[in-house]
Amino acid sequence: MKLLLKNAILFDGKTIHSGKTDVLVQDGIVVEVGEVLHADSPDIVHDLTGLILSPGFIDLHCHLRDPGQEWREDLITGSRAGAAGGFSTLVCMPNTDPPVDNAALVRYILEKGEECEGARVLPSGCISKDRNGKTLAEMGKMALAGAVLFTDDGSPVVDSNLLRLALQYSSKLGSRIMEHPEDRSLTNGAQVNDGICSTFSGLKGWPTSAEASDIFRGASLSLDTGVPIHFTHVSAAESISAVRMAKASGCPVTCDVTPHHLCLDENMVIESGYDSVFKVNPPLRSVFDSDALWQGIIDGTVDAIATDHAPYHLDEKDLPFQESSFGIASLECACAAVISEWERRQEPCSLERLLSLFTSGPASILPRKWEELGSISPGRSADLTVINLSLMRVVDVDKWKSKARLSPWDGRELRGWPVMTVVGGKVVCSQLDESGVGE
Amino acid sequence: MEWKHRHVLDLDTWQKPELLHILEQARSMDEFLDRPIKKVPALRGKLVVNLFFEASTRTRVSFELAEKFLSADVVNWSVSGSSVGKGETLRDTAWTLEAMGADAVVIRHGAVGAADYLARKLKKSVVFNGGDGAHAHPTQALLDLYTAWKNIGSLEGKKIALIGDVLHSRVARSDIIAFSRMGSRVVLSGPATLMPKRVEALGAMYEGDPRAAVSDADIIYLLRIQRERQEQGMFPSLDEYHQFYGANSELLQHAKHNALVMHPGPINRGVEIASDVADGSQSMILGQVRSGVALRMALLYVCLGGVRQ
Repeated sequence: MKLLLKNAILFDGKTIHSGKTDVLVQDGIVVEVGEVLHADSPDIVHDLTGLILSPGFIDLHCHLRDPGQEWREDLITGSRAGAAGGFSTLVCMPNTDPPVDNAALVRYILEKGEECEGARVLPSGCISKDRNGKTLAEMGKMALAGAVLFTDDGSPVVDSNLLRLALQYSSKLGSRIMEHPEDRSLTNGAQVNDGICSTFSGLKGWPTSAEASDIFRGASLSLDTGVPIHFTHVSAAESISAVRMAKASGCPVTCDVTPHHLCLDENMVIESGYDSVFKVNPPLRSVFDSDALWQGIIDGTVDAIATDHAPYHLDEKDLPFQESSFGIASLECACAAVISEWERRQEPCSLERLLSLFTSGPASILPRKWEELGSISPGRSADLTVINLSLMRVVDVDKWKSKARLSPWDGRELRGWPVMTVVGGKVVCSQLDESGVGE
Repeated sequence: MEWKHRHVLDLDTWQKPELLHILEQARSMDEFLDRPIKKVPALRGKLVVNLFFEASTRTRVSFELAEKFLSADVVNWSVSGSSVGKGETLRDTAWTLEAMGADAVVIRHGAVGAADYLARKLKKSVVFNGGDGAHAHPTQALLDLYTAWKNIGSLEGKKIALIGDVLHSRVARSDIIAFSRMGSRVVLSGPATLMPKRVEALGAMYEGDPRAAVSDADIIYLLRIQRERQEQGMFPSLDEYHQFYGANSELLQHAKHNALVMHPGPINRGVEIASDVADGSQSMILGQVRSGVALRMALLYVCLGGVRQ
């Protein structure tokens, strides 16, 4: 299959090329990148004038609920939602039912993922058997089967000795340890940020110290073992400082932030009348915290943006705030939400920096064989995302491919949407005709 | 004045003129409570549903009396136990209420945000929050305001000391907002482990020493201490609590000599309040109960009845 993309503004994973660039894709590979390319009888040609052509977006952290919780989402709807959101690769979390703590389930996800005709789905595996935080899971077999990360996400690894063992044991497997940073003894029953929101609402506060302290601990273990550790959904200023300090002292730590922590804050919980669409773990924080996350993006502390897409059935989410489940669904509007916020903040970082957080940044956290997904260059797998920075659209969750029907962005007008997603040379989602640019 | 609040969910957006308006209406309702025939046709033909998910005799009866004195048709719907996983969801209950044609719903629920949630779901009914988790109890705060205002007049510049478990108290949150909007100085005291993080944002300041907190106070407001909090390790013992923060005659000496002593009830004698203080001449506790009916009548009237043609 030959796909010719012409006149694009090319972002290759690192820099935005000046002028217009063409990219030729054949049999799943990027064959040529150049100013004016010609191809013999291409199957599809798109004129991408005015549009950005980027490596396909990679989401390091999303919950696809499959196996076992398919009333919330499954690999098919999740992978299609990802594609609709401009993601060519999704790393799905292993806190399913049963949890992904063995090679058989890793293979299940890879096989079913291939049938989805959406984003590429890469499985992550649990750090501990049965996600129980007590003993190591068979990380060797899982890595061999294709698990790209190990995490007990949903939960931190409470036992420091187990985390240390996990770091040591996994060090040669190529797949990193991802820690959900939370000290459970400080967050028992907590539902909102410990600050303005907890004060006004009467809900128990989730202090930022619960997140930062876990990061300090993990960073120290990482330095001790010499093995990289990745902290996910970092939400607080204090935590960004902890990551910054750790990096400065030579700890091999990395971190990601979510679109909701970049774009939303605790005041919205109050102003919305405690609408449960704003309920999430870790909670929406103060404006001071979200400002610090953006600062972390500017100075390189933040390595990636990961959605932590957490879909629920209406019966689990459409409830009074205190009773509702924790989680925000965002795959299909994450890109536009972040770009809109970036514009609202008057472009605090370069567009290249922003796009790298969706592409080369997350790719660098994955095992070496997948790193090429974060860039566009001849010989590499053709995973691509086309973005229309000026397209404005109102988010309508009823039209979503995801099973989720509640999201904090529902009804909001956002700007900067993905308009085409390509996975391994195959167009899995395209709205190019809609925006006026077509074959 | 033109009333602009549709529901009564919390007092966050209420300003002083609106609070005063309700207090003045409550005063007229109060006078009427002494009449031999306690019936006003203001809400005749209106259906009010009291939807109580938490057991509460005091508040429910107070609302029920107010509704009946205003001639409304009243349905009491008590749901024991959590709504989650048992029987109807609040969403389904909302649709049922709408189908029943309820003009107003008074809801008390254990979950923060329940009243807001119901208000979002109901297109026609007016929602009154009778208490949602630890978040808000606007009618309690209003009746507290009314009791204080009735007895000491203008609250501008007066000092009110709130002592106890503010962290878990919806009454405290609503009272802090209400009294500070009226221009009072609100000082909180109690163990630091039982204080919210950002009380100044609500309109109060924290004073660790209760004697300093009540110094020259016009009102001392005591909050209930729940045994679970001690069991959760938030303070070492009830005895230690009472020694430092219990309202006894010694503590009262630091306040103004005719300071009002208030409590939302039910009281824990010997814990947050000594018996002789609870039953003493400065205690407004029973007065608050009477104020409750008058205030709720005023609120229902303003939000639902108003001027009839």
